[in-house]
Amino acid sequence: MSDTNSASLLNRCRRSRSFVVGGIMTGFLLVCALVSLVWTPGSAYDIEIGSRFLPPSADHWLGTDQFGRDIVSMLMTGTQNSIVVAVVAVSIGLIIGVNLGLLASARRGWTEEVIMRFSDFSFAFPAILSAIMLTAILGPGGVNSILAIGLYNIPVFARLTRGSANAIWAREFVMAARAAGKGKLRITFEHILPNILSIIIVQATILFAIAILAEAALSYLGLGTQPPHPSWGRMLNEAQALMFLDPMQAIYPGLTIAIAVFGLNLLGDGFRDVLDPRLSRKR
Amino acid sequence: MTLLAVDNLSVTLATNDGPARAVRDLTFSLEKGETLGIVGESGCGKSMTALALMGLLPERSETNGTIALNGQNLLTKSEGEMCRIRGNNMAMIFQEPMTSLNPVHTVGRQIMEPLRLHKGLSKSAAAVETVALLDRVGIPNPKERLHNYPHQLSGGQRQRVMIAIALSCAPDILIADEPTTALDVTIQDQILDLIQGLVHEEGMALILISHDLGVISENAETVMVMYGGTAVESGKTDRIFDELSHPYTQGLFAAMPKLGMGRDARLVTIPGTVPDLVNLPSGCTFTDRCPLATAQCRETIPPQHHLNDRHAVACHNLDKARFMKPGELYT
Repeated sequence: MSDTNSASLLNRCRRSRSFVVGGIMTGFLLVCALVSLVWTPGSAYDIEIGSRFLPPSADHWLGTDQFGRDIVSMLMTGTQNSIVVAVVAVSIGLIIGVNLGLLASARRGWTEEVIMRFSDFSFAFPAILSAIMLTAILGPGGVNSILAIGLYNIPVFARLTRGSANAIWAREFVMAARAAGKGKLRITFEHILPNILSIIIVQATILFAIAILAEAALSYLGLGTQPPHPSWGRMLNEAQALMFLDPMQAIYPGLTIAIAVFGLNLLGDGFRDVLDPRLSRKR
Repeated sequence: MTLLAVDNLSVTLATNDGPARAVRDLTFSLEKGETLGIVGESGCGKSMTALALMGLLPERSETNGTIALNGQNLLTKSEGEMCRIRGNNMAMIFQEPMTSLNPVHTVGRQIMEPLRLHKGLSKSAAAVETVALLDRVGIPNPKERLHNYPHQLSGGQRQRVMIAIALSCAPDILIADEPTTALDVTIQDQILDLIQGLVHEEGMALILISHDLGVISENAETVMVMYGGTAVESGKTDRIFDELSHPYTQGLFAAMPKLGMGRDARLVTIPGTVPDLVNLPSGCTFTDRCPLATAQCRETIPPQHHLNDRHAVACHNLDKARFMKPGELYT
């Protein structure tokens, strides 16, 4: 029985164009990040003033920047950075937010009120402002930008989880489970979570894209990843001054960010098509 | 000792319009192996009574009185203690088999869970027990069905699975809340026979809730007719169906379609609708629809008249009602 289930899942994956295209784009970035761990075409760190502003060539596929660093290598190494920040930040939001949402939904009453009003409160501040505030207090840096983005993700997941979980709690099979003597904790993890998992996965994928964008924004502002570690946002920042001298230096990281965000959004849509066919048919 | 003794049970639900008195001063008892039928139209408090027994009422509700299972008052138990009682001492089958199973787990897993939870069986022992249970509730190829998801079963089969779950821990009391309402007429009989058979084998007590007098008369030894959240008539099934005392019980009878009625004949109805539970009349709740209503009915709640040791009727005009036929009261 489970064979046919996994086969139809695979089929649906293949049929969903957004899943395939998004998956290829995301997969490409993932491969770049992995490869850059062991090999890059040039050096993303070594400054060679003699070979600055080189045009694309066999040695430097996309040329070099104002310090003579290889742009492809910087982009590849920057991918690592973006992925790590996004994974950790989304995980923080996912783990804390989903649990808070499940708790609110299981307990209801004042617990739910406190959690939900708290997330309303955090939504009142624009995400980038709170991130700037946090890094201003804790100091700029990779870890703190992860923390800032992760904190922003918590209420997003909490609200989504609580809303979808409340709908499941009202279903008859939950009543049947309670009549069989299951406690709220057991019902939460056996019945509620499996039924809302697909919604959470889709949301996580989309927030992954937002996290990459947020990391780039914070780095662009100088609050995220610090030199000499390459980061897409900082590459944009550094290229800004050279906009008229060598515009390609801004275009390459910009394009990379666009590919990452676009790919992840497509993948999120694809996940929705695959995991919840009813939702996508409605569109 | 009486298995289940419910005394002066009242349930008040908090609604946006104010407190709704879903169940009022309900008193009944149930012996081991006995089948009690609760009958009444929608909104008369049948399901709320069942949920109150299970301790599964909505959070914003208040329960008063006592529900004593084997002499222990369930209303004073903590949620944790109730979890050990539910499924283990008392089990429940719901109306909608289509939605009562979790779509993301296999039926095997869903039957195994209470076994492992209450009986502490190992995974393999629970699996063996589950196959035996599926076989007992009449599901063919139980070994293969174990791995099926609910959507792969028909409505009747799903209700059989629900019965298997309810029976898994051999409870003392089984509550079946309209177990056949959502099923085909042909399947209804099979399911009821199955429930009856299993209840007899296990010596369990059964509370069968239905709005179908036929189902009740065939399956229950004692009947409780509910209206407006309280029992208007209760007693042995044959006596009640022979004597037809309360005007409401007579109304339910009059409303049953009869064989050979002729195709143009209209079905008899009880005029009006069930009372608003938020603004209950101060006297008998059936006053507004009763053909025999008097000023006294409007003002005072009728006492329970005990016609003999186990037949009680709550009506002010009992003497008049008892000597009339359903056909005379309702046309």
